[in-house]
Amino acid sequence: MKKLFANPLVLVGFTIIVSILLLAITAPLIAPYDPNAIDVKAILLSPSSQHLMGTDGLGRDVFSRMLYGARISLMVGFVAVGIATAIGIALGAIAGFYRGWVDTLIMRTVDVMLSIPTFFLILAVIAFLTPSIWNIMIVIGLTSWMGVTRLVRAEFLSLRNREFVLAAQVLGAKDNRLIFTHLLSNSLTPIIVSSILGIASAVLVESGLSFLGLGVQAPQASWGNILTDGKEYIQFAWWLSLFPGLAILITVLGYNLLGDGLREAYNPRSSQH
Amino acid sequence: MMQIRRDQYQLLKLGFIKPALIKSVFIALFLPLMITACGDSANNQIHNKINYTKNYPSNNGGTLIDAMTGEPSGLIAMIAGESAASAIAGNIFNSLLKYDKNLELTGELVESWEVSNNQKTITFHLKPNLKWADKQPLTSDDVLFTWQKVTDEKTRTPYSSDYKLVTKAEAPDVNTFRVTYAAPYAPALDTWAGLHILPKHLLKDQDINTTAFARNPVGSHYYKLEKWKSGQFLKLTRNENATQGQAKIYNLLSRIIPDKAAQFLELSADNIDSMGLNPIQYARIFPSRPDLNKNIALYKELGNSYTYLGFNLKRKPFDDIRVRQAINYAINKQEIIDGVLLGLGEPVASPYKPGTRWSNPELKPYPYNPNKAKALLKAAGYEDHDGDGILDKDGKPFTFEILTNQNKEREMTGVLIQRRLNEIGIKANIRVLEWASFLGRFIKPKEFDVVVLGWSLSLDPDQYSIWHSSQQAPGQFNFISYSNPRVDKLLEAGRLELNSDKRMKIYHEFSKILLEDSPIVFLSAGYGLTAIHKRVRGISNPAPPAGIGYNTYDWYIPSAYARNEISEY
Amino acid sequence: MFKYLVKRIFWMLPLLIGISLISFFIMHLAPGDITTSEASFNPKASEESRQKLRELYSLDKPVIVQYGLWMKRMATLDFGTSFASHQRPVLWQTKDKDGNITLGMIQEALPITLLINVLSLILIIGVALPLGVISALNQNQLTDRCITVFVFIGFAIPGFWLALMLMYWTGVQHAWLPISGLQSIGHENMSWLAQAIDVLRHLALPVFISGITGLAGISLFVRNGMLEVLHQDYITTARSKGLNENRVIYGHALRNALLPLITIFGLSIPGLIGGSVIAESIFAIPGMGKLFYDAVLMRDFPVIMGILTIGAVLTLIGNLLADIAYAWADPRVRRGVVQ
Repeated sequence: MKKLFANPLVLVGFTIIVSILLLAITAPLIAPYDPNAIDVKAILLSPSSQHLMGTDGLGRDVFSRMLYGARISLMVGFVAVGIATAIGIALGAIAGFYRGWVDTLIMRTVDVMLSIPTFFLILAVIAFLTPSIWNIMIVIGLTSWMGVTRLVRAEFLSLRNREFVLAAQVLGAKDNRLIFTHLLSNSLTPIIVSSILGIASAVLVESGLSFLGLGVQAPQASWGNILTDGKEYIQFAWWLSLFPGLAILITVLGYNLLGDGLREAYNPRSSQH
Repeated sequence: MMQIRRDQYQLLKLGFIKPALIKSVFIALFLPLMITACGDSANNQIHNKINYTKNYPSNNGGTLIDAMTGEPSGLIAMIAGESAASAIAGNIFNSLLKYDKNLELTGELVESWEVSNNQKTITFHLKPNLKWADKQPLTSDDVLFTWQKVTDEKTRTPYSSDYKLVTKAEAPDVNTFRVTYAAPYAPALDTWAGLHILPKHLLKDQDINTTAFARNPVGSHYYKLEKWKSGQFLKLTRNENATQGQAKIYNLLSRIIPDKAAQFLELSADNIDSMGLNPIQYARIFPSRPDLNKNIALYKELGNSYTYLGFNLKRKPFDDIRVRQAINYAINKQEIIDGVLLGLGEPVASPYKPGTRWSNPELKPYPYNPNKAKALLKAAGYEDHDGDGILDKDGKPFTFEILTNQNKEREMTGVLIQRRLNEIGIKANIRVLEWASFLGRFIKPKEFDVVVLGWSLSLDPDQYSIWHSSQQAPGQFNFISYSNPRVDKLLEAGRLELNSDKRMKIYHEFSKILLEDSPIVFLSAGYGLTAIHKRVRGISNPAPPAGIGYNTYDWYIPSAYARNEISEY
Repeated sequence: MFKYLVKRIFWMLPLLIGISLISFFIMHLAPGDITTSEASFNPKASEESRQKLRELYSLDKPVIVQYGLWMKRMATLDFGTSFASHQRPVLWQTKDKDGNITLGMIQEALPITLLINVLSLILIIGVALPLGVISALNQNQLTDRCITVFVFIGFAIPGFWLALMLMYWTGVQHAWLPISGLQSIGHENMSWLAQAIDVLRHLALPVFISGITGLAGISLFVRNGMLEVLHQDYITTARSKGLNENRVIYGHALRNALLPLITIFGLSIPGLIGGSVIAESIFAIPGMGKLFYDAVLMRDFPVIMGILTIGAVLTLIGNLLADIAYAWADPRVRRGVVQ
């Protein structure tokens, strides 16, 4: 832990993540306006004391929309990664523990899924189903479990021959106990790292989908769709582009710094001078 | 003082060398770009100093560059179907008739036509000595051939039904084309203004569905296709053998730029001359940017479509006329025009363009009157019995879903409607759907409450396929299930009446009943907004009923303002 | 080795079939097909003509039958013709009886995407490699931290946002680079060299945008690889032998650290042909990404399946080549010491 926070970048990342989370959680309390309150007399106003981040094409307060958008963008990240991790752990554990034909089957499926360019897959599925938050989260989750599977499987493969596992087996521990108590708990760190990085990715993917019109739909606000709404006025209503763009940048940066720092700190192989 | 170990020192030394390596890599990659870029900068600065307001007499030459978001799939309009195809093909091919600046039908390939006494036969007289771009003569044989193709079962066209109503088509001599219908068909002339005549001599041995002609057509109108670079641009150049005379501008270049934001940037950088604008760009961005206004002029004209809120008449409570009218009174249409279109639109009370003969001048849209709305709903049994702010009847709250497709303006309209309905106690939820889903899962099986969509303001008044009770099958256009026997009769009569004045009365009556019945709420008809560089002259302003595009052949670019072009005649 | 190759190639066919099956059924998840596009929701287009179109394209048959028809065509390597683009061939050009050549859609789009991706790969390697090495050599010091933040910013920045800002700055405010498109207007009349420079100028921004996201991954990878290698015994041995520091770093450490990079390249093959949909859409570049996106929106099944199939084939080949290259480059594997 001390080693982890000795890295200033990790501190920065951690601060960013906590701040954004706080803002997202307290959104209903601190948002000055209803994020969906249209005001046709206040269209595209630049930032002022009344509207900290200006207003959008329908007169809605951008700051409030950004706060609620934080909730949506983060939720997409958490749920999508949750799904991907759950699937990944399950499949990776089974593959790594039981090996044999189960392992081959799972790994071949991973190969198949990896052969299709991910973004194409997400695009096709969202375009075919209706673009709603849940569909987006599920689809991102269903297309990012492959990395976690490989990771967990690799950890299991390397751990299962270690002494403590053999000892537990000799003592008669059942498979379940072996998997959960021993193997999984020791593989946690790479899984956590992968999840943290996955959240960052998911936020970026959502903004990309918004650009193509397949992201979170109106009237719900997400950083991706605020940014997309403002793209035709980038020379004029700079606030519609600057704030969501910066928000995405800072959030993704934060998660990446934390995730990477975590990986560094717990990597037994990188010793320092 | 820190002691540095020997290996650390070595590493540090290397650390200083490396940045130099990176810098050299960057320079090697970007220097050539910078050098060539600087050249362009000078050119642009010259353009920024030109004053585009001097008057010049008309001259020939120049290239007009515009942008399209989509690419045509082919240039045979009857098969291709999408708007990008019709737009470009419309510069290459002629039809028998066309609409003039006041939206009256006039001849294009035809110099006159007669309708027989029994109203079932139309005889067209082609202008003499018409030629194709390859100098071959254009005769009634080509017209007959085109008709045969569009009605051929094997041709993959969705537009055949109108032409199949012709029972007999003949070309008695090279300049005469005659069609006979089973019954008088008033929209017939409009259909002949929309059919591009194709060259028999080039297509008679071809399979029209797969022919290479679609990507390399030969037409008879002002322009011919010079080059089509897939995914990038289409270049049209002047056709010396054009049937209608010579256009002034030599070349039309349509660049394919899918993203509207990128298009706007290209317009700002003077890389394209013309672009369609949205209300915000027209009313907010341009007025605040003197640098844009200096070189670019804005044009507005009445648009070609109207937006509406459609009820599913097979679902309660939308079968109750009081409920529909109440919702109509509850919606503030001017607010929608001001908010969504920034005032750049007009309210409509019928499916016709205001100002044209088919639009009934006596009809006015329902005014914004929430009290009247509430009274009507009360009469229909809807009141807030349980005090929760939402109207209810028989214990059920009045709530429904508004569906619309992924169109910013329709979404905004939906939100405004939602708010107004909320004020009188109706809880409406909005759902935005992708088009094919929308069509397949909701419209076709009629699984919807209310939709926000648009129809075009058609030039011919026939509205049979949208409002007649026989058109309610899945896949047909009366998907709101409207059925009114009086309207049915009027629509049928309108199709048979070729006399314009009598026809007008029929459709005025039809519009009146439609407005009363309120199966849809007419919301707005937006303006068509275009930005065109000031170097392009000859544009009619204010726009006539047909819009500014009716005389693009008369537009010209003074040579003083023409762009530097590497290739020139 | 040979047995391994045979086994891998043998596995490719069922994998391909699996991929095509999944793709085909995902496609048919969707409601609607080419006949239900927004353009065809036009009162002038009758339902019966749309039904006729459906029959002509076999869209009214059950999905498994359509899949069978597609497989039959694929067996003869016939990728079919596009539904949406007036029957243009999906993969390669066709010549009709008059000698007119119609270019294939993938044939036109793939080279463009490959060019952008290769250029962007060169950019990434050219920048990420040195950055990773410097990072490793200055582990945990200011230089390392700065580089980490810099590459992470590159990864975190939403691509289309950066693209629009750069387009505005380099294209509108200053006329340094073209804004969108692939070629300038008088391109055909330029000399060979001018044509090349013209295309490069148009691709500068798209390549930069594509590259900046990959920078983080590769430079971190190089850094960690270097670090891992630098702390190994044989490096200490080499140093204690008195070898020149440069030789230690470049001759030994770097070469060994780069080995896994080969696997990375193999894994990024599907990315190579999958052009970035977003970048191509913003910059109006007619590559594979835009082709796929348009095909998806229009429900142009032959094109969608064609692209996914090509992608799968290239991926499988790419993975195989990467494995072979790794095996060859790593003497331990080559000599069969480690499996």
